[in-house]
Amino acid sequence: MTVSADDRVVNVGRAPPMAGWTAKLRFFQGISAGRMAAVAFIILLLAFLTVYPLSMLLYGSLHSTPPGMAGAFNLDGYRDVLTRQSLLSLLNTVGISLAKTIPSLVLAVLLAWILARTDTPFRGALEVLITLPFFVPPILTAMAWGMLGNPQVGLLNQLYQWVTGSSVAPINVYSYGGVVWHMMQYSVPFLFLLIVDAFRAMDPSLEEAARMCGASRWRTFRTVTLQLMLPALTGAAILSFIRGIENFESPLFFGSPAGIRVITTDIYDAINQSSPPRYQYATSVSFVIMALLFLIVLLQWKVLKGRSFTTVSGKGYSPGIIKLGAWRWATFAFCILFFVVTVVLPVGQLLIGSFFKFFGFYEWDMLTLEHYQAVFGSSEFWRGFGNTMLLGLVGASLTMVLGGAVAYISVRTRWRGRLLIDAMAWLPWMMPGIVLGVGFLWGFALLPHAIPIYGTIWALLLAYISLGTPLSVRVMSSAYGQLSYDLEECSRVHGASWLQTMWRIMIALAWPSFAVGWVLIFFGIMRELSASVLLYSVGSEVLSVVLLKLWANGNAEQVSVVGLIMMVMVVLFRWVQLSVIKKRISTL
Amino acid sequence: MVKTLRTLLVACLAGFAVPAQADDNWDAVVAAAKKEGKIVVYDMALGAPYFVAVLKSFEAKYGIPVESLDLRASELAERIRTEQSAGRFLGDVEIITTTMIEEQRQNGDFIEKLPPIPNAANLRPPFRADEFSVPAFVQPMGILINTRLVKDEDVPTSWADLNNPKWKGKILSDDVRPLGSGNTMFAILQHQMGGDFNEKLAEQKPVFSRDMRNDARRVARGEYPIYVPQIFAFTSDLKGLPVKVVIPKEGAPYAEMDLAVLKNSPHPNAGRLFIQHFLSMESQLIYANAWMPPVVAGVAERANPDAQAFANAKLIGPAKLAERPSMMSLAKKLYP
Repeated sequence: MTVSADDRVVNVGRAPPMAGWTAKLRFFQGISAGRMAAVAFIILLLAFLTVYPLSMLLYGSLHSTPPGMAGAFNLDGYRDVLTRQSLLSLLNTVGISLAKTIPSLVLAVLLAWILARTDTPFRGALEVLITLPFFVPPILTAMAWGMLGNPQVGLLNQLYQWVTGSSVAPINVYSYGGVVWHMMQYSVPFLFLLIVDAFRAMDPSLEEAARMCGASRWRTFRTVTLQLMLPALTGAAILSFIRGIENFESPLFFGSPAGIRVITTDIYDAINQSSPPRYQYATSVSFVIMALLFLIVLLQWKVLKGRSFTTVSGKGYSPGIIKLGAWRWATFAFCILFFVVTVVLPVGQLLIGSFFKFFGFYEWDMLTLEHYQAVFGSSEFWRGFGNTMLLGLVGASLTMVLGGAVAYISVRTRWRGRLLIDAMAWLPWMMPGIVLGVGFLWGFALLPHAIPIYGTIWALLLAYISLGTPLSVRVMSSAYGQLSYDLEECSRVHGASWLQTMWRIMIALAWPSFAVGWVLIFFGIMRELSASVLLYSVGSEVLSVVLLKLWANGNAEQVSVVGLIMMVMVVLFRWVQLSVIKKRISTL
Repeated sequence: MVKTLRTLLVACLAGFAVPAQADDNWDAVVAAAKKEGKIVVYDMALGAPYFVAVLKSFEAKYGIPVESLDLRASELAERIRTEQSAGRFLGDVEIITTTMIEEQRQNGDFIEKLPPIPNAANLRPPFRADEFSVPAFVQPMGILINTRLVKDEDVPTSWADLNNPKWKGKILSDDVRPLGSGNTMFAILQHQMGGDFNEKLAEQKPVFSRDMRNDARRVARGEYPIYVPQIFAFTSDLKGLPVKVVIPKEGAPYAEMDLAVLKNSPHPNAGRLFIQHFLSMESQLIYANAWMPPVVAGVAERANPDAQAFANAKLIGPAKLAERPSMMSLAKKLYP
């Protein structure tokens, strides 16, 4: 008799087979009530965190004025979306996002395979270093690339002209290519972080079986490794594509001078640079984007439905490392090249610039430590840093717990309501951040005054949990999708309670993904601005607001100092995380 | 000599004008403000050092702590609107552009009528208080040039000089199509320089960007020889770089920031005292030394030597809210 993965999912949560009928009945009754309460609690929580602010925005899209102002219900906002300019911007946005997601995914897969599955030298250090650009505020890398790749006096063009003697400037970051390149700076490390643990957690016996049957290394990679990675890859690619659609900084900095318009810059103009602000258009176009993105998610569900992607089973295994021989230096060189181009060039600019009075003016008499002194001596910086650390630690932990619970229900059970929960958890990711920030402002401000959220640090915490939940759910869903059901069944058969099984099997095996998700969400909170700037109050300033103020007052060098501090933290966090993973894997 | 004496006379008169015209009960206002314990200011200064200096001087003088909520203009207006619509009256005073205040008044009653402010009597032309607001400071704009790329004889002295063919494709500009400094310059120069000025400027193919602070540095690094519009105050902290801001002979277009009391202000006396303090000689001098023309009389003359030219700059404008839609659509037409 064979039992499908679906059949086995149905059995998850059932009583141990050795129990008597009475005990079994009691157990079921207990589970049902507990399950119902758990599902109801999560639905209510997600409804407040995601559906409530979105309902405010939906109102905004259907009403001629924002909540609290006299106006009329109409569809003018949606009508404006159907103009030629809006549709062109939408097409442009999709094109740019696709243009950056596809090469980013290829690069990320290659890097993940090299660093997780081969004997490339120094791969531990490289794994930390190549992800650094993701954690630098985009405004800083934009400035750095502007200095490197402008056609007039860009350092790279000058280097090319010096080497070749030509007067041609081959690089122009103020172009489509520049927009895509700047976005890739973030999407490659983002995708890499999301998929590298899936590569690491794979049982190599599946690949070995393919090799034993005569498949070449390439065919094995294509038909076994990549196929098994499908949930992680498609989930990560979709997240990256959505982030590309919602990206704002790259088109603003590099697209605007070239006349490139995308939907986020249109939304920014509608909200921040129109008179009066066009909230109805901004919210309407956001819902159109949301509907389109939901179709993509549905497609992923359809593609993955009914297929098993189990790579971690009850059988013991040790992660296989492919010995590349002399080729390992080629893979090493590839990683170093990637590191130099994406990290050393832009971050080097920031590092050097932070020791001079002005970026780009590297003269001896301009050498200074005043930017470091200004940052470390600023009470506002330390207050923002303290608030952000608190919100980051608590927010990332709560978000991962919530995401873990949602992912478990969605992937590992057949509980009624699981699809609703999964869909609700996706919602915030599909709404551009600038617009969602307004949704939180409207939603929290309009709560009854007896609920003390608006104007407190709680408003920020709840917004951060909402914004991070989709990512935490995707990360944990991919991890749970790889775990064989026999692990849970085995635990239950041996008498472990559901909680014990969760703690000792599910959480223990999925925690590397949990840790990656935690780091991504923690640093996402550190960088989040759209909601923060609308929800912060005096005393609850966060780092992103402090950075905005510094930037607005022309202190780019001080912003760089803060960016570098953030990178040091990333290196520290990732080093601890990878050391622990290594230790755990060696003891498995 | 005569000029110095006149300056001293104006300064003395300005200094004495306050007690002479002050409300008899002003001491009571100060006492009530101190009793209220704090003031909450909603502003768009985003922690600008000169603004922080004014807050500190207020705290030092009256012992009343100031809570400053810094937001960008449109976020500030929306936050006030949302809070008041939800029955939350948290702020006392706002500092925002004149046009935003006009817009607030069109959309609802978010601000109170301005209470008597003795120092408002010291406003210098063309600045004047109205029923709801009083000017706080102005942000004039000029032309930024790279002194290494623009020869002395080529330095533009008029806005019309931007249309010299030699600058074609060499002007970096804040985008004039959306709301912001670029559009403010566009609208004011449309009136000042005549309709064909903007048409000719469009033929110069200026390159648009959206980050004024970084754009000035791009000019300093030599990416472009010219940037418009350059806010004077943003140039004062570029000392040491090869850039210079030019005030064209026609004058400097400007944006005006006003002070207004928010509806149901929880600390009305502290708010009133704060506005009074903002219009004081002391506060206005802080702004003048940061290269912004003061809005009250008798201050510009006392500014530091490096700030004199900017504090005394000829101003043109401001842009009018009623004309904004037509100006924005004209800009979009000229720069499709």
